Parts: sequence; structure tokens; C-alpha cells
Amino acid sequence: MSAPRPPAAWKAALLRHETLLLAVLVAEWLLFYHFGTTTNRRGLVVGFGTLDRQFDILRHSCEIGLLALALTPIILTAGIDLSVGSLLGLCAIVFGKLWHDGGLSIPAAAALTLLAGALGGGLNAGLITRLRLPPLIVTLGTYSLFRGLAEAITHGAVTYTDFPASFLFLGQERWLGLPTQAWLFLLVAAGVWLLVHSTTFGRAFRVIGFSPEGARYAGLPVGRCLALVYVLAGLISALAGLIYTARLGQAKADAGTGYELFAITAVVLGGTSIFGGRGSVTGTLLGVAAIAVLKNGLACLPVVIRMNAAEEMSGLLTGVLLLAALTGSMLPKILSPLLRRAQSG
Amino acid sequence: MKRYFREISVTLALGLVLLGLAVFAPAFYQPQPLLSLVTREAPTLVIACGMALVIICRQIDISVGSQFSVCSVAAGLLAAHGWPLPLVVVAAAVIGAGLGAVNGVLVAGLRLPSIVVTLATMVTLRQGLNLLRQGEFVNLPDGVQWFGLSQTAGQWTLVGAALAVLVACGLAMRHLAAGRWVYAVGTDAEAARLAGIRPQLVTFLVFVLLGALTGLAAMMNIVQSPQVQPLAGAGLELKVIAAVVVGGVSISGGRGNVWGAFAGLLLLACVAPALTHLRIEAYWEKAIQGAIILLAVVADGLRSRPGKGGRG
Amino acid sequence: MKSLLSRLAVLAVLLAASVPGLAAADARLMIAMMPKAKGNAYFLSCKAGADQAAKELGVELLFDGPTDSNAAKQNEIVDNWITLGVDVIAVAAENKEGISTALRKAQQAGVKVITYDADALPDARSFFVNQATPQGIGFALMDEAARLCHAEGEFAIITATLTAANQREWEKYIRQRLADKYPKMQLVAVRPSDDLKDKAQSEATALMSAHPDLKLLMAICTPGVPGAAEAVKQAGKTGTVKVIGLGLPNENKRYVHEGVTDSVVLWNTTDLGYLTIYAGVALAKGELKPGATSIQAGKLGTFEIVGDNIMLGKPYIFNKDNIDQFDF
Repeated sequence: MSAPRPPAAWKAALLRHETLLLAVLVAEWLLFYHFGTTTNRRGLVVGFGTLDRQFDILRHSCEIGLLALALTPIILTAGIDLSVGSLLGLCAIVFGKLWHDGGLSIPAAAALTLLAGALGGGLNAGLITRLRLPPLIVTLGTYSLFRGLAEAITHGAVTYTDFPASFLFLGQERWLGLPTQAWLFLLVAAGVWLLVHSTTFGRAFRVIGFSPEGARYAGLPVGRCLALVYVLAGLISALAGLIYTARLGQAKADAGTGYELFAITAVVLGGTSIFGGRGSVTGTLLGVAAIAVLKNGLACLPVVIRMNAAEEMSGLLTGVLLLAALTGSMLPKILSPLLRRAQSG
Repeated sequence: MKRYFREISVTLALGLVLLGLAVFAPAFYQPQPLLSLVTREAPTLVIACGMALVIICRQIDISVGSQFSVCSVAAGLLAAHGWPLPLVVVAAAVIGAGLGAVNGVLVAGLRLPSIVVTLATMVTLRQGLNLLRQGEFVNLPDGVQWFGLSQTAGQWTLVGAALAVLVACGLAMRHLAAGRWVYAVGTDAEAARLAGIRPQLVTFLVFVLLGALTGLAAMMNIVQSPQVQPLAGAGLELKVIAAVVVGGVSISGGRGNVWGAFAGLLLLACVAPALTHLRIEAYWEKAIQGAIILLAVVADGLRSRPGKGGRG
Repeated sequence: MKSLLSRLAVLAVLLAASVPGLAAADARLMIAMMPKAKGNAYFLSCKAGADQAAKELGVELLFDGPTDSNAAKQNEIVDNWITLGVDVIAVAAENKEGISTALRKAQQAGVKVITYDADALPDARSFFVNQATPQGIGFALMDEAARLCHAEGEFAIITATLTAANQREWEKYIRQRLADKYPKMQLVAVRPSDDLKDKAQSEATALMSAHPDLKLLMAICTPGVPGAAEAVKQAGKTGTVKVIGLGLPNENKRYVHEGVTDSVVLWNTTDLGYLTIYAGVALAKGELKPGATSIQAGKLGTFEIVGDNIMLGKPYIFNKDNIDQFDF
């Protein structure tokens, strides 16, 4: 192999990060299990420790998890996509409209919705690869545009509901023991994992993240790779939109608002470097789990429920967590020259 | 001329919109409502000046909306407790500067990407404020509105203040060495460092400046009505960034100026009232604004050479 | 308002004491109440009434909701409450169908469910505490507007967000009443304020300048009324352009006394909260059963029940004659 391998030290560092994250995940899970499981006034064991609750956590985190999976390859290429939440909302609306006003069957509407998602991602991809525009500003624009389109299509007001039970099964029932959407999520997770870790594309993503110009000189199909990651993100956002609709039983223009923050936090928490070139899907999955457990675990603590502050606390903590994760990831870089100087001085 | 192509084209677009309104909706040009509209946008202009500097420096700050809310509530509470107004103005700017400094330390000191840092501070500030305030309005005592002046005098004062900030920033960016440093760091931080400029310090200071201007803007906003709503400022960051980007400031840094941001702001601020005057349904507003942003960005991309890619 | 510091202190103490089993030591009835948006002053005034009722009845009241109207978050909070094992849940539903799934789950877990302010699907709850039907509200607003405009002229509506369910309902009935009874009046525009007072002010300014013959601004969301009033005041059109809306007395007292705002339509939100708690507790204790035709609610007296709707009464109109009597 002519291309230089990343030094073994990188691998060790990465593994260390994921192990640490796993430890954090287990620790917080145990913490919430202890403090968040009680016997309620009816004598039932309720709270964090129940299977029901765990499944709920799984259910609630599928959509954000999908978005985080979609963002991982993008962030690996040193890009970013702020429009995934808005695209989720737009696709939910498109699905609702196709089924309700267009009279299409659920599978047909779903297929077209996935196509719509891919097109949305394609818009991002086109502007980023053809016009070489920075992903940040492109997706900032589409973040507004997609949401705006969702509002325009529904005239801001229409909500699509009354979906058939066969469709709601996807979001509200269980299949073979797990919530239905969890299976889809696992499927997508496996797919993204394979893409990132087992294909030449995956390797190309990292190289592009390290140095886009270098990748170009090395003959890598940079344009095609970037197009792939953004279109894929669009596709996955559409899927998340379908699951969201099935879970809530309604498609509304504000679906997915604010999901970007949690998705990006999950990815960064999972060890993927925001500068690109380094990261793993396993890390992202652990990050999603860590955040989902945090959000839902907090909400199970009787004290937080009594404080009427579940949403603020989880938002606040997620913001702080993101800052902590970022700071933590940068500390080694800053400390090592200092350490070296201390050693040699 | 070619150098200012973007700024000129935005101004032309603005001119076209204004012309269109003059033809199809001349009612837009009544003096009193127009003055009210412009006064409403004055705080946004002040923030846009600061944001232009941050973006030229190749960073971004999406927490300004939350900073604005925090400063508004803080200033309102101080005024309600009887602090003299000039002191409240200073306090608002100082609080804003402090919040900006937090961003600055994380971005310049720890070399973290500004998009993610400010995403985190945006949520933290917003939720922290919600926890504290639970959405309750702050009632201002008499004498705070319009700084105690008459409405017209107050409105002209605010507009004048905003324009003063605009001119000061515009001239400073052009003629002061510090202004050139911002452009230098935004174009190539490493080259700037080799030339003797301190990029980390410059980066830190633009965030602080943006924060201070946000605090000032918050003050300019609360004197326009007798109550402060903590939710005020939600969505402000997008509005300001859109204005700046539409106005020709490049997200890759190193290019653009506050004059363009001014034109961009006016253009986008016209959309909502234009829809009302042209009798177009309100739900088109977001889509139109998103489209304008994308058009501006595409225009940038088509025109410029493929420069430094990346996220900016 | 509790300060952050005191909240943190409470958190610290409770966290220290929060071991399994201790939470179940409290044997009082627990009723959980959810607003559409926690910070909305309207719901805070409901809470004031609810607090009072809870104190009188000796039950524990939980009050939580999303910080801004969000159907998905409402579902999550209902799930939390099922976990906690509350006895009754009272919800103001952001989305009828969406919340019903969670509410049905609650009912299956043995939790009693009622709704207030905005209903869910009938099978997902036992009763709905109805402050006034959307029809009643829409008609009251339109009639008040017509009275002030002498049944002719142009008016405009400022609403919350375009997606807000309650506002859409009210707008429907306003238009219906307009079409049925006031042919000489025209509704020229509906503009959103996103629940932002400042945006409502800008929209109102633009509306007045775009429609020079505008006679009245109707703001159907609480932050919209003071926003619209300030715009009218600043435009110097006090008296020429009337302002009415759905709002809270305290936020509008200033403008009502200055003659900018004429009427504020609402219902006694404190009473709504009070009645909701009484109904919820009666339901939990088995005193309120399906088919009942009336309910006793503490010092407020008896209320009529129509089907499964507990009626608070007609909308109340605040104006300069009576607005000072209220403090919410």
C-alpha cells in the first residue's frame, strides 16, 4: 500500500476515547438506575429501570440517532450539515401531503419521500461540490429553506394525521421484542458502519477530512465522495422523518426542530473530530446512547420532575456536555507541548 | 468597482425591491411607519456590524440571539431596580462583552471550531434563561422608554446611534491597523502570525466586541417598549448572519464589509412588510428568506475562484 | 420567582435524599398538570389557580411542560409522569392526535386523564375542562370587533405561529361569524407573530401602513396584544385603529387605561386552573363519574357538565371598567 497508514498511536487514542465513553455510559446508566427507579404509589416498580422505559429511550432516540449517523461521514470529511433537522420536517410534510392529498399508498408515499430527502441532500451536495461553497453556509441556507418550504406547503397550519395503524406500527409498536424503528436504526447503523470502516469510500472520507487538496492530488474522487455523504444524509433524514411521523402519529411543519444540536453533540461526544479525518461510527452510537440516557435519565429523577425543569436541565446539560467534550478533545493538543517543555526544561 | 461588486449588487437588489414597492405598494413609504420599521431594525444593524467582523475573521457566532435575550432581561431588571439609564447601558454592554469573551476564550484559546462552541453556548444560555425566568415579562418603569425622550426624538436617537456604529465600524475596518488585522487573520491566520499579528488575540477580541455590541443592541431594543419579553431575540442569529452573508461578507473569511451587511439587512428586513403590503400570504416568508440567502451564496461561489474550501 | 440559587439548593438537598423508596413515602394524591408552554403567562395564571386548589384539597401538584409549544415534548413529559406514578394527569394538548397516544398509555397504566384549555381525542381522556368553546371565543372576539367598528370596515388578525392549533380554531370561527353576521366588514390579513411581542409590533406597524383604512387589530395570542397596542400608540393612531385581543389583564392594563386597547377577551384563567384540579382530584377519588351533569369546585361553586365537557362559562371581557380587579 503506497498511501501512508495513520500511525498506530491514533488507533490507540481512538480506542481509548471510545472505552472512556463506554465507561461514562455505563456509569450514568447505573446512576440513573439507582436514583431513577422507584416503587410508585401503586406499588409498581417504575422509572428508569423498567423495560418499558428502556424501550421508550430507544424509541425516542432513533430519530436523533439516525441524524447522528448521517452526520458522521460528513463530519469525517471536515464538513457539516445543519439542515438535517429541517429536512426531517420537510420530508415528514411531503410524506403527509403525498398520502393525504395525493392519495398515494403508504409505501409509495414513503418511497417518494425518501427520494425527496435524497434530492434535498443533493441540493446541498451540488452547491458544495460544484460551486465549492463552504458546507456551513450552504446548510445554514438550506436549514432555513427546507423549514420554509415545509411551512409554505402546509400554509403553516396543516397537520397530517389519521395514518393507518399499519404505518403507526413502525413508530409505536414492537417487532420481535424491540421497538420497530430500532430495527431500522440498527440496519442503517450497520450500513453506515460498513461504509465508513470497510469501504474505500470510508478511507477516502478521512483523507478528505485531513486534507481536501491532498486528496485531490492523490487522485481520490473528492466530488463524488462529498456528494455521496450529503445525499446519504438527506436520505437518512427522510427516513428519520418517516419514523418521527409514525411515532407521533402526526406530520407537522415543526418536526425535527432543534435535532441538529443533539445529533452534532452525539457525533462529537463519540470521538469524531470536528476538524475531520478522525472518528468512528461506534463512537457516534455510543454518543447517541450517552445523550439519550442522559436526557431520559434526568427526566426519571423524581427531584427533576418536581422541579418542573426536565427540558431546561437536559438542554442545559447537553450544551455543557458538548463544551466539555470539545474542551476535553482539545486538551491533549494543548497540554502536550506544555508537558514536553516541562520534561525538557 | 469590481472590488465592491457584491456590495453594489446587493444595493441594486435592494433598490429594485424598493422600486417595486414604490410602484405596487406606495403605502410603504409613509414616514411614520417607515421610521418605526427602521427603528425596529436599528438594534439588528448594530449586531450585524459585530457579526460582520466575526465572519470576516473566519469565525461565526450563532449564540447572539441568546446573548441578546440575556442582556435584554438583565438590562430590564437593572432598570426596574432603579439603576440610572447610562449605567444600565454600560452594564448591558459589559454583560454582552462577558458572554462574548466566553465564546472568545473557547474559540481562540482552545482552538475549538466556533460553529460548535457557539451552538453549545446558544443552547446553554437560552435554557439557563428559561430556567430562571420561565418566560415572564419584565416590566420597565416609566422614563425608560425612549430614554425618557419623546417618541420621535427617541426613534431618531436610536437610528442615529445605529448609523454611528455602522460608520465607526466601517471606517475602523478600513483605516485602522486593527481593522486590517481582522482581514489578515481571516484570510490566512498563519501568514498573519508570521507578519507579527497575534491571530488568537484578534479572534478573541472580535468575539468580545460582538458581545458588547449585542449588549448595546439589547439596550436599544428594550427602550422601544415598556415591557421586555425574555423570548425576544429567538431566531436573531439567523437573521443577522443572513444579512451579513447576503451583504457580501464571505463565510470563508477575509472578504466583505459592514456596508454590504447594512444593505443585506435592509433587503431582508423588507421581506415581511413587503409581503404584507403586496398582500402575499405570510407563510412564504421563511422560504423567501432562505432562497435569498442561497442565491447570495451561489452568486459568491460562481464569481470567486475556488479558494480555501473547508468550513470557515 | 424562585432564583436559580434557591433552585440549585433544593436540587442538592433533594438529590441527597433521593434514594429508592423514599419517593413513595408521600401518600398524598399526586396530580400532574401540563401547559402548552411553560413560560406563557396565560398558563402561569392557570397554575396560580391550580396551586390554590391543590392547597385546599391537600394534594401534590406537579406543573411541567415544554418551554415552547412542542407536541413531541408533551408526550415525553406524559411518559415521565406515568413513570413517576402520578394519579391524575391534566393536559392542555398542543396536538390533539399526537398527545392522545401518550394519554391512552397513561390510562392503561391506571392514571386518570383529563384535559383543559385544548382537548385531546375523546377516548384518550375522561373529561375536558372547557374554558369556553373555540366557537364561543371566536364569536366573542368577532362580536366585540364588530361592536367597536360599528359593523363595518377592515380589520386584521395577528396570530401566534401559523401552526398553532388553538389559534387556527378560533380563526375558523371568527371567519364564520364574520361571514354570517357582518357582511360589511372585511378581514384583510392574518400575520404571525411567533409569540414574540416585538414581532407583533412590527407586523402591526406594517399592517397599518399597508391598509390605511384599517379600523381594528385583533391579536389572538397573548404576547400579540401589548405588541399591537404599542404599535398603534407609536403610530399615533390611538382611537383610530382599535385594538382588541386575547390576552392577560396585567400585560394590557397600561394600554387599556391609555385608551389604546379597548377589550381583552379571555376567561378567568385562574378559575380554569382551579376547576381543573378539583375535577382531576374528584375523578381520582371516584367522585366524578361519566354521565355526571355537574361538579362542585370548592369556593367557585357548581359547574355544569355537558357530555364530557366541564364548562367554565362564557368568555370574559376585560375593559377599562373592570380590568383593575384582576391580577394575572
